[in-house]
Amino acid sequence: MLTGARRALKSGVGLGLRWEFLEEVLEAPVLEDVAFFEVSPENYMRRGGYYPAALERIGRNYPLVTHGLTLSIGAASPPDREYIAELANEVARLDAPWHSDHLAFTSGSGRAFHELLPLKFAVDTAKRVAARLEELAETLARPVAIENVTYYAHLGKAELSEGDFLHTLFEHTRAGFLLDVNNVYVNAQNHGQDARRVLESFPLERAVELHVAGHTRTPSGLILDTHGAPVVPEVLELLAFTLERTGPLPVLLERDNHVPELAVLLGEVRALRAVCDRAAAAHRLRQEGRRAVVA
Amino acid sequence: MQSSLEAAVSALVHGPAVDARDADAFLARYDFSADDRAVLRADFERLLVYRGLVRGTLREAVALAIPRTLARLGSVFDEYFERFLAERGPRTHYLRDVTTELLDFCAPLWAEDARVPAWAHDLARHEALQIVVSSLREAVTARELGPLELERGLCFVEAARVARYAFAVHRLVSDETDRTPPERVPTALFVYRDPEHDVRYLELSPLAAALLERLLRGETLKASLLAACAETATDPTAALEGTARLLADLAARGALLGAAAGDGAAPPARGAIVDPDGAGPSARGLRGARETSTMRGSNKDPHERS
Repeated sequence: MLTGARRALKSGVGLGLRWEFLEEVLEAPVLEDVAFFEVSPENYMRRGGYYPAALERIGRNYPLVTHGLTLSIGAASPPDREYIAELANEVARLDAPWHSDHLAFTSGSGRAFHELLPLKFAVDTAKRVAARLEELAETLARPVAIENVTYYAHLGKAELSEGDFLHTLFEHTRAGFLLDVNNVYVNAQNHGQDARRVLESFPLERAVELHVAGHTRTPSGLILDTHGAPVVPEVLELLAFTLERTGPLPVLLERDNHVPELAVLLGEVRALRAVCDRAAAAHRLRQEGRRAVVA
Repeated sequence: MQSSLEAAVSALVHGPAVDARDADAFLARYDFSADDRAVLRADFERLLVYRGLVRGTLREAVALAIPRTLARLGSVFDEYFERFLAERGPRTHYLRDVTTELLDFCAPLWAEDARVPAWAHDLARHEALQIVVSSLREAVTARELGPLELERGLCFVEAARVARYAFAVHRLVSDETDRTPPERVPTALFVYRDPEHDVRYLELSPLAAALLERLLRGETLKASLLAACAETATDPTAALEGTARLLADLAARGALLGAAAGDGAAPPARGAIVDPDGAGPSARGLRGARETSTMRGSNKDPHERS
């Protein structure tokens, strides 16, 4: 069990921990700009050696939030029990304040896809996922959150809008909402929607963490959620728009491809913090305005 | 619907390429409602994006693990990669384990394929072993150790394996453009992760290999030594001094932790690798272990998922 790192995470900007800069983090003095690191537990589970040892050292100085990739919570079959048992050990080892994964299926027909496949926006899907989230939180003995994903195609006729799908889901679970703002933007661009209207349709009151990342536009015009570029200004604006409505939340910068120097990422973290600070001020003004109207 | 969707996605991303013009025929193979089928049909081009994403991730993972094997086999490897995806597909949650699944699938097929050089599987396993050993788990609980005695087993670090090859693939240069075939010579390596997390490779004599395989299985030092000597037609008395040197060397390297406490045999290290097609008995005396290479600075496997 790690000690000393866990503290209440209610705001601040975190960074997805990548092996490209892991040693820099280990060797540097504590990075005051980074409120927490987020890690994919699959990279550390069921293994020994350098990385788990390094992560344990980092956990002494920073809170670590776990963000899984292969739970496959929306698949027809329930999530793999052996995997969840290993996951429980890992999130306990890291003393993660909560664990999150994706509103997706990542396996099926006995195979692993190693990709996030979107779910059909249907009531029975939402209820199935909600029940599994309750069970997961109990097994992990800590809060869990679920993230909206990008969808390049609709995998079946949607019975609900994405917003209604999310509302239905969160009516049936106590899990938190990990709102990926970049995914909202990417989906809106790819499907001809207004990202702000989409966001306003989401259950923002259930948000416990926000993600932002960069993306890649393909020659066909389709945007892929690659996490391989800096966050675009439109997504920063959408982040501010979200935070003005939710109030302060932990925000994570994800950068998984074409990872630049740590110093560059820290610059992006500081820029995000400035956005968060401005949004927090705007949120306070909105709250005061509401109180004034009520009075 | 979800089960049908998973079956369709699996076929679409792992199976043979599907032309968007054949979407109707493809979707007709699965139990979808008319409404779902219509949406999937309309979005079929976009659905194919997932094929590229899935295959790109898997291919990259394998290329990172066994780059020289890929380079040497070229299009033949591509063919087997396609067959692996179509006929078996990855099952593991862990991207770093996909290469092992692929090689398990390929081993019997490559043995029957004249286009695949006889050394290919050895080279692939040797390349893949670096990530396997770098990530092997340590024991959860500390083991109680005692002094070395003939009647006791020995405790090694968990991340230790004996690998046997029919070819000296470990002597090939790391240059991916090199096409020099490896020498056909029975080869045994002791592969372990040192206290600094570096993966190290020691070339073993036949006697050392036979001895270490048994010790890793948990047999006592005496039983291991006698059996190894019998297997390699070596006089046990003559082997004693070399055995002591070998064990002292492994202890100094941090690979051998000590003798198992308590009575008799040690708990076996998990999954010692023994290749029955590898080296046979040899009359050569124990010459101990010779370090052939290390992976200092590359002790970390590159399979980070995001």
